[in-house]
Amino acid sequence: MGARAQILGGCLLAGFPVWAQSLVVRLSNDHLRVSAPGLRFVAGKPLERLHDGAPVAFAFQLSLSIDAHATILLRDIQRFVMSYDLWEEKFSILKLGHPRSSVSHLSAEGAEAWCLEALALPASGLASEKPFWMKLEGRMEDAREPAGLENEGSVSLSRLIELFSRRTRAEQTRWAAVAGPLRLAGLKKSSVRAPGAQ
Amino acid sequence: MKHLWLVTLLAGAALAAGKDRPAEVNVNERYTVEAVSVSGVAESKVSKGLREDLQKLVGEKFSQQKVTELIKRLQKGFPNRAVSQKVSRGLKPEHVKLVLVVARRIDLNADFSATKAHYHSKQGWTGELSVSPGGLGANNRFSFGILSNADDLLERFAGLRAGYERLKLGTDRVRLAFQFESYHQIWNRSTLDELKSSPDVPGIYRTRQNSEPALTFLLANPLKLTVGASFQRFQTQFPAARTEAANAVIATLRYDRQLEDSAANRHRLEAGYGLRAVTRTLDSDFVYARHTWDLRYRFRRGDNRLEVQFVSGVISGRAPLFERFVLGNSQTLRGWSKFDVAPLGASRMAHNSLEYRYKIFRVVYDAGAAWDRGQHADPKHSLGVGLRRHEFSLLVAFPVRAGRAEPMFIAGMNF
Repeated sequence: MGARAQILGGCLLAGFPVWAQSLVVRLSNDHLRVSAPGLRFVAGKPLERLHDGAPVAFAFQLSLSIDAHATILLRDIQRFVMSYDLWEEKFSILKLGHPRSSVSHLSAEGAEAWCLEALALPASGLASEKPFWMKLEGRMEDAREPAGLENEGSVSLSRLIELFSRRTRAEQTRWAAVAGPLRLAGLKKSSVRAPGAQ
Repeated sequence: MKHLWLVTLLAGAALAAGKDRPAEVNVNERYTVEAVSVSGVAESKVSKGLREDLQKLVGEKFSQQKVTELIKRLQKGFPNRAVSQKVSRGLKPEHVKLVLVVARRIDLNADFSATKAHYHSKQGWTGELSVSPGGLGANNRFSFGILSNADDLLERFAGLRAGYERLKLGTDRVRLAFQFESYHQIWNRSTLDELKSSPDVPGIYRTRQNSEPALTFLLANPLKLTVGASFQRFQTQFPAARTEAANAVIATLRYDRQLEDSAANRHRLEAGYGLRAVTRTLDSDFVYARHTWDLRYRFRRGDNRLEVQFVSGVISGRAPLFERFVLGNSQTLRGWSKFDVAPLGASRMAHNSLEYRYKIFRVVYDAGAAWDRGQHADPKHSLGVGLRRHEFSLLVAFPVRAGRAEPMFIAGMNF
């Protein structure tokens, strides 16, 4: 089975309702970071809610595998609460977990980039010529799937993994972007840039 | 809005986890609330305490946590409807206006709902499944349903129902509705046997269709008037198969008022009068007038609820079987079978029921009589005990009479 077919099969098995976007991976300070130029998650229903002055929670998982997404070797999960300033018409984000951080006065594109910039995987254990695959998954969180979120400070990794393993209900919105096969030696290197504050 | 409490919990937990003050979960918390309102429901249907708490937000800094708590309270009052927040800029700089929107819950593009499903130990199953496609705009509503009903009338009628409703016709005070129904019938042996000795009562039919356009006028806030027409066609069996019509002018006047007193006790008073006047003017094969009156009072104090209901009706003239009054089903004279009370229905009816509920426990008492003109009314009574939570109910009811009393078992849900 070809790599593309494996990726497609993996996505179908994971229950993606949308075609996965392409992911741009770069090496930054010995960490793998990503951007997804074609991915717009501050749009549609989430954007509608934000424009109504309601905060919206997002969860993202960045994962790495060495067998075309069949098994995950490394993962990073981050969660954010976004809101839209009705008078200044800019977005603010509160990043949950540790370390906790926040940012304001962002455009929609800037807010998307800031969330993705917070995701990183260590590249130290990877051989420079060994192929690997990366996948970014995101979802607008659904309150009907508490996943132990009530006590955010002590959310277990297993509960968060479960959140991403579960099929979504109709009202949820989810996204995905994939890349691979990649090799460390072939990646563009960059220094950590400031998130998209304007 | 269901997502909001999660967001608030997340933010609250973030606050607890952090040592210094975290950023606001909603950046609009820096602004002052200029006005608060509720849309989608009449203000009188929102409890007094909640209305007061909503108004307390005015002049304060916008608090997502408080708004989320108020949304949860509002949601409790309207469990089958979605509640969301809409915040917009106020008229003054640095101010915002808050609207809590109570809407119909629409998942995907359609709203599927089992509007009625219950089991009656004498009548069997009754069920209705309806679907309302979404995406037709705020003012238009289509519905389509399939059903099999052995409860409301003497017959079991099964078939389909389709409807269109325009919620605003020029003004919010006028609504337009059109409903079409098509059913086929199954009759109980008791009804068929009784018909043989009752030549004055029109016979059975195998199919029935109804087309019903109507306009509803909101006269004053709790008072509504509906006027329209009903074109009923049905295929009779005896003495020969033929199609007959009972075309009527219909009118309904309804009053519905919900109040909350200073002790937070809730009162709801509903009253209505309905008329179906079938005349030859509308090319009808029958001539009759069917009048109904109903009055219902509901009182709630904490976990205690009391409900009193009175209904009555009179038919002048000779009406087909689907118009005749029935007592002894899941709503009236529970404990009796409608085929024991009046197997052909009746042209006169009076019924009173009393229900007391404490938490999920309920006790009901029904009294009523169904009779024809020139006959004496023979009042019957029944008692029942059961459980009820939200739309789900369970009841065991007994007829109050001398001799052996066979209990009726009624279970189901109503939405």
